[in-house]
Amino acid sequence: MFHAKKPSSMNGSYENRAMCVQGDSGLVLTTDPKPRLRWTVELHERFVDAVAQLGGPDKATPKTIMRVMGVKGLTLYHLKSHLQKFRLGKQPHKEYGDHSTKEGSRASAMDIQRNVASSSGMMSRNMNEMQMEVQRRLHEQLEVQRHLQLRIEAQGKYMQSILERACQTLAGENMAAATAAAAVGGGYKGNLGSSSLSAAVGPPPHPLSFPPFQDLNIYGNTTDQVLDHHNFHHQNIENHFTGNNAADTNIYLGKKRPNPNFGNDVRKGLLMWSDQDHDLSANQSIDDEHRIQIQMATHVSTDLDSLSEIYERKSGLSGDEGNNGGKLLERPSPRRSPLSPMMNPNGGLIQGRNSPFG
Amino acid sequence: MTMNYPYEDFLDLFFSTNTDTLATAASTSSCGYSLNDLDIDWDCDFRDVIESIMGDEGAVMELETESVPMLHGQEGLCNSASTSLSLADGVSVEEPKTDESKGLRLVHLLVAAAEASTGANKSRELTRVILARLKDLVSSGDRTNMERLAAHFTNGLSKLFERDNVLRPQQHRDDVYDQADVISAFELLQNMSPYVNFGYLTATQAILEAVKYERRIHIVDYDITEGVQWASLMQALVSKNTGPSAQHLRITALSRSINGKKSIAAVQETGRRLTAFAESIGQPFSYHHCKLDTNAFSTSSLKLVRGEAVVINCMLHLPRFSNQTPNSVISFLSEAKTLNPKLVTLVHEEVGLMGNQGFLYRFMDLLHQFSAIFDSLEAGLSIANPARGFVERVFIGPWVANWLTRITADDAEVESFASWPQWLETNGFKPMEVSFANRCQAKLLLSLFNDGYIVEELGQNGLVLGWKSRRLVSASFWVSRELNQ
Repeated sequence: MFHAKKPSSMNGSYENRAMCVQGDSGLVLTTDPKPRLRWTVELHERFVDAVAQLGGPDKATPKTIMRVMGVKGLTLYHLKSHLQKFRLGKQPHKEYGDHSTKEGSRASAMDIQRNVASSSGMMSRNMNEMQMEVQRRLHEQLEVQRHLQLRIEAQGKYMQSILERACQTLAGENMAAATAAAAVGGGYKGNLGSSSLSAAVGPPPHPLSFPPFQDLNIYGNTTDQVLDHHNFHHQNIENHFTGNNAADTNIYLGKKRPNPNFGNDVRKGLLMWSDQDHDLSANQSIDDEHRIQIQMATHVSTDLDSLSEIYERKSGLSGDEGNNGGKLLERPSPRRSPLSPMMNPNGGLIQGRNSPFG
Repeated sequence: MTMNYPYEDFLDLFFSTNTDTLATAASTSSCGYSLNDLDIDWDCDFRDVIESIMGDEGAVMELETESVPMLHGQEGLCNSASTSLSLADGVSVEEPKTDESKGLRLVHLLVAAAEASTGANKSRELTRVILARLKDLVSSGDRTNMERLAAHFTNGLSKLFERDNVLRPQQHRDDVYDQADVISAFELLQNMSPYVNFGYLTATQAILEAVKYERRIHIVDYDITEGVQWASLMQALVSKNTGPSAQHLRITALSRSINGKKSIAAVQETGRRLTAFAESIGQPFSYHHCKLDTNAFSTSSLKLVRGEAVVINCMLHLPRFSNQTPNSVISFLSEAKTLNPKLVTLVHEEVGLMGNQGFLYRFMDLLHQFSAIFDSLEAGLSIANPARGFVERVFIGPWVANWLTRITADDAEVESFASWPQWLETNGFKPMEVSFANRCQAKLLLSLFNDGYIVEELGQNGLVLGWKSRRLVSASFWVSRELNQ
């Protein structure tokens, strides 16, 4: 099979040759007087996978390979000779493996071919195998890159969903606690009457909707604080994760230098954080209005306070004196529903699917 | 690049004869104060000891930022007395930087506290005193890496101390973080460091390769926590399979009632989240929750379907509800092996597995590990960054405390083998090779983060992520050695 081919045909474009015919089984056969099997890249790939599954070319036998591959029309004869060639050609393959890891993820085709050419006893048919292998590796690297991006994004979306759920549960619990305490009567400090609270509570608050919380905030500083803190805390994190803030530069959290080789989309989909140091101790740099907002969230530990404050500053909240709750939740930029696809300027999150999540 | 460090040498530096000096110096109150008076001039007590250590061996510990591989430096020192002497001269002549000397002092105190709290020379009073002093010196809002690290370790040790010695330990309010905060911190950590995703993505890639031609996939997950790992697996399956060739995914998650109701509820919640996610992307999926009453696992608790490919997934590299006692892991792996899994993935931290080396050794190892982790975070985010502080407090602090509890556990629970891969190797598992694609992916993942992370091969069948010269987390792949009926 291989020795009959001219070297020029080893460019992977088997389908273009007029003398090839694709049979019912999916195998590509030549239309010579004596039909021969063409080992296409895909078929060879399946062969290699099957061999790998069986523990390598030395352990695999044509029979077992045939069984594992499960390709109709493939006979033992085909496999016998292909396996023999593969075994002969396998030796230099090992060098590729080491070569590529030593040099980093981009094994240059030139290096590999040079390596190959220098090995003694190379026959053209093995050269063809080598070339195929090289192409396969490069193709694989590109695939890996693409897949990694998609996988990380998928993971990010999933994280978002569990975060939301956790917030909702928390809000629910606190709401339950609040109503229970209110019912008891004396549980609340401040000016909350039980009736006013239950009126204010209303329907279970969705962490993303503002009006109920605004109402609540007017009244007290206990449970509402908890809800406020968590909701806007997490909402702010979301904002950062999805990169709504136009002012943020495209810097992956913690990464000092941008990597031009990797897709921008990955970083955009991930947490953005500027490298600015926020000096927590220098409180004098905070505006008074922000300080009032911070002081409201009294039950939170001081560090988390500062965290909230930093998030606030970043998202550009404006505040005015005196108005308590509302401004914690005011946002100049329009809210984005967290259930819509994660922001990705290059297109859909998951290719080929139209409803990524929710 | 090799990553080995001479622990024996390192221990000698500290504990050859100086331990007694350390213990007796404080207890005999050489400066004339009583132990209960916390105004002891600690410098007076310890400086002599510290200087004697430094003078004898010429050891300069730099656990500050960017200087994790201190043992590498000391390798040279230990080998020749002459070198150490000359270095000792150098050290005593010039005034050490305040930060360095403080860092050094903190480490000494931590080790002293650790040692005082366990082992043959156990002394409750001494431990209490040293811990009090440590608390004075550090807080988790401090400026330097070393101080913060020391703060977390101090807290962890204090909790241990209270657990063992105080009748009614007060529950510190700041200890209990709600689930939402923990998840936030976890997400932040994923974005700060490849530590989490290295384990998940490497394992997932290996799984995908192993089940490429299977119609039904059944994953048995030892400790699923939030199930984050499976989001990317589902996405990969969905984008690979179009049309009728969709592969069906089934996940069985284990929970152990020993770990409490909260862990059981968490596993159920994870199931709901995963089911919802799978539905949203169109992946055929079903979830089963296998409740175990004890740490022992038996395959009869699982529901198996004919013709499915079983994959065993064992993630041991992140803090969990449970303590993941070695016996429970062993029971799980031994039993699961009988299912003839297509693949067994194991991800574990490179910490403190050598049980018969004693508590102190494991403590130092733990200190190194977290020191490396802190350094790796520092490289990306400065110490003042609030996100980092948040992650440290909510996530890493409890993680340290959890680990400290594990390494002080009874001997019965402590691992007696060098590492999990070693255990698997000698208990009927065969290594499974790591693919080219997996190696590529790991390197790509690292390229998203700061320089300093490296990935190495771990034998034939694994990859290990490290920060500079310290190994952090390893992923390895196995199958059963024999086919079982």
